[in-house]
Amino acid sequence: MVYDLIVIGGGPAGYLGAERAGQAGLKTLLIEERFLGGVCLNEGCIPSKALLHSAKICDYAKFGEKYGVTAKDVVLDHGMVIARKNKVVKTLVAGIKSQLKASHVEVVEGRAYIVDRSHDGYTVKVNNESFVGKRLLIATGSVPIMPPIPGIEKGLEKGYVLTNREILDIPQVPDSLVIVGGGIIGLEMASYFNSAGSKVTIIEMLDHIGGSIDREISQILLKNYQKKGIEFKLNSKVVEIHDGAVVYECDGKREAVEADKVLMSVGRRPTVEGIGLESIGVEIERGAIKTDDKGKTNRPEVYAAGDVNGRYMLAHTAYREAEVCVNNMLGKKDIVRYHAIPSVIYTNPEVAFVGETEETAREKGIDFEVAKVSMRYSGRYVAENEGGDGICKVLIDRKYRNIIGVHMIGNYSSEIIYGAGLMIEAEMRIKDIKELVFPHPTVSEVIRECIFQFED
Amino acid sequence: MATPVIMPRQGQTVESCVITKWYKKKGDTVKVGDLLFSYETDKAAFDEEAKAEGTLLEIFFDEGDDVPVLATVCVIGEEGEDISEFMPGGKKVPTTQGGVVEGEQQSGADNEKKEKIKGGTVTQEDGRIKISPRARNLAEKVGVDYREATPTGPNGRIIERDIRQLIEDDKLVTPAAREAYLKAEEVHISGTGIGGRVTTADVERMKEDKSREMVQPRIQERVAEAEYEEVKLSNIRKVIARTMHQSLANTAQLTIHTSFDATEILAFRNKVKEQGGRLGLENITLNDIILYVVSRTLLNHKVLNAHFLEDKMLIFKHVHLGVAVDTERGLMVPTIYNADGKSLNQISREVKELVEACRKGSINPDYLKGGTFTVTNLGTLGVEAFTPILNPPQTGILGVNTIVQRVKEVDGKIVTYPAMGLSLTFDHRAVDGAPAARFLQELKTNLENFDIFLAK
Ligand SMILES: Cc1cc2nc3c(=O)[nH]c(=O)nc-3n(C[C@H](O)[C@H](O)[C@H](O)COP(=O)(O)OP(=O)(O)OC[C@H]3O[C@@H](n4cnc5c(N)ncnc54)[C@H](O)[C@@H]3O)c2cc1C
Repeated sequence: MVYDLIVIGGGPAGYLGAERAGQAGLKTLLIEERFLGGVCLNEGCIPSKALLHSAKICDYAKFGEKYGVTAKDVVLDHGMVIARKNKVVKTLVAGIKSQLKASHVEVVEGRAYIVDRSHDGYTVKVNNESFVGKRLLIATGSVPIMPPIPGIEKGLEKGYVLTNREILDIPQVPDSLVIVGGGIIGLEMASYFNSAGSKVTIIEMLDHIGGSIDREISQILLKNYQKKGIEFKLNSKVVEIHDGAVVYECDGKREAVEADKVLMSVGRRPTVEGIGLESIGVEIERGAIKTDDKGKTNRPEVYAAGDVNGRYMLAHTAYREAEVCVNNMLGKKDIVRYHAIPSVIYTNPEVAFVGETEETAREKGIDFEVAKVSMRYSGRYVAENEGGDGICKVLIDRKYRNIIGVHMIGNYSSEIIYGAGLMIEAEMRIKDIKELVFPHPTVSEVIRECIFQFED
Repeated sequence: MATPVIMPRQGQTVESCVITKWYKKKGDTVKVGDLLFSYETDKAAFDEEAKAEGTLLEIFFDEGDDVPVLATVCVIGEEGEDISEFMPGGKKVPTTQGGVVEGEQQSGADNEKKEKIKGGTVTQEDGRIKISPRARNLAEKVGVDYREATPTGPNGRIIERDIRQLIEDDKLVTPAAREAYLKAEEVHISGTGIGGRVTTADVERMKEDKSREMVQPRIQERVAEAEYEEVKLSNIRKVIARTMHQSLANTAQLTIHTSFDATEILAFRNKVKEQGGRLGLENITLNDIILYVVSRTLLNHKVLNAHFLEDKMLIFKHVHLGVAVDTERGLMVPTIYNADGKSLNQISREVKELVEACRKGSINPDYLKGGTFTVTNLGTLGVEAFTPILNPPQTGILGVNTIVQRVKEVDGKIVTYPAMGLSLTFDHRAVDGAPAARFLQELKTNLENFDIFLAK
């Protein structure tokens, strides 16, 4: 039997793509070697958010005096947090299983290897069984990058070096945790383990944290964290890892910090090896599958979505890319518009952003204007965030007067940002947004406040 | 007694209204208060409800019709009732005898989905487009270019439903892009924004690319009013059309495909490239090599080097090889006479001369006939498999495909190799499947062992 579509990988890109294809009537097979739900559900977005929520509750309780609430003996029971996280993951994975079933998707467990292409389609081998599909959706995701630092391999073996996979299942809170890499994942983990009682140090090679986020927001986040007691070693490069210590170089000097555990989070790389891409000649560019904005690769009827294309390694991008792939398979023209994909850092305070930053806009030669207001313009923010120092920043295109970027730091921004994404994607102008009604009192009103700083 | 439903008068100045939608069709049962139809004036839209109950006996106006106020639009009554007194002039209503006539006469509501209401082209009065204020408002609100509407209102006026049609056809422009888009006048661009909206980036791209290559493909769907260029067929196109069609209509064609490992011929070609000059060799291409091998191999499979003439076959002693050539004016097939007696270098040189002559239009017509077998190569255009069409009365034609990377097992290891596809179409009246396959098999062996073959 020949499938209309074989999906390789059961993460967000894979399972959603398979569901959509199945619902549209394509005879679909999904192959997953580990767990349905992929990184996102099992060792990424969801487990980390479950942990962070517990940390937030703990923080609220501990620092409740500011709001006139005193709680005594506040403890975070890490074991229970992990147990709850596992329950959350189990519930969601079960949901995906039943959703796939309802969409008539067949699921095979095992590692997929693409063998070749015949006139019938593409042959994929799993556990010595062959399957043929007219089309392929490659959604094999990504794995953590492990730079060749002396001591890493031994550390992984012995368990004092961890990746996101192990740390989200760690049974005990380490006394001291060194996080290598100050990107989104590193910061989220720092936030949790700081609240849970670890002495956390982040070592980052760049002079700022948060990767490509707005510089000013990066600064605010850094200060917030330092206040909480997280230590940062910026402009610092890790050169050696030992059981108990991490050695790094800063300004040409070698220094060391104590570490019970070391989390490696210097980025992720697409899973493009060992899946037989070479047998059908799929083009790889800078370690990722090369796709166009329809999700097509250079091979006919071979699509790729999610982290494996190396573009925006985010679950919601994976969802959208998978949908676009399936739409195009069904002959429906659809593209991913990458300029309006929001990103969130679910730390406390939350950071959310979408579109151009001042840096990227400048690089692209866009003529833009910026407006910036303090989160304190929002009544709700002031009422709920004692001493908070968040900001919201909006960028507009000077010529067309439409909104091209929004950057926020302050709680709730994760839930607000999609609205900003919509404004960007719909190319709403300042004067259009001025006509919108924002509920009061909400934190989202800061966007409106920013907008009124601009002339039409 | 039957009750007529009349077009209400909406205001003193309104002379007529346009029916925009029928909710009932002839023969439907209606109750008091049921929605019958919607209609609109220049300024407003209304719904007409039934004020009597019974069967909808007759409908006198279709969707899109401009109905004078107080004219009878339809009649409600009991089945079999005489309604002739309500019939307006101009519209023939069948008498109740004979289902045949009944069946032919369909009300507008019946046709609702099947046929779009035909409209005229946009009419301009003193340089202004005729559009109802309602339609204009809607167009401005949602962001469609009403110049693209097909007016279906009275006297070529654009009315609300024409704008709704544009919305349905995804002819939308984002607010930010609208002004620049409208200034760009009449250039149709395809949008890459949400729901196909034209964005600022699309407008920018269009400005850069004035070469009109951007003409929106979707516009072609509206064939009736789409722009097109009428091109008279050239004689060569007419001849190609006739022969191709006759070929398919009068023979029993089928195509079989295979592929061969092109490692050896690729290596050979490289050798010639590097050292051929020294020996006075042409720049021998892969296609030349295939022509050479085909001309030899055919001698062992003479039914494929033949003409099929209904009651007899001409089996040729020598191979006169037709070579399909793509020229600006169309497909041409010059012949290499006695190819089986020519060296690879001679074939290579002769092909180049023939191709050149075809492209220049200086080919001697004698060279365009007399072929006994044809080779056509779409591999250079990346085609992986196709079904060539026979050049009757020839009995075979070989299609050459592109090279793809395949894997095979050598000593238990998976290795890749360049596989080149071959597609053989033959006339099953003259040749059976197995002999045709044997030819292909021998061809494959010869090509894979080209060095040895050359020595023969
Ligand atoms: C700690 C952490 C936190 C994160 N938080 C967020 C967040 O808050 N928000 C967000 O948007 N994103 C977040 N991400 C990123 C998000 O997890 C990824 O972008 C998302 O999982 C990508 O989905 P995917 O389908 O492309 O790949 P994956 O989720 O990586 O899934 C790929 C799947 O393919 C399987 N596979 C691979 N090779 C084969 C094979 N040959 N045969 C069969 N199966 C195979 C793998 O087992 C895996 O299950 C986070 C990531 C991490 C690590």
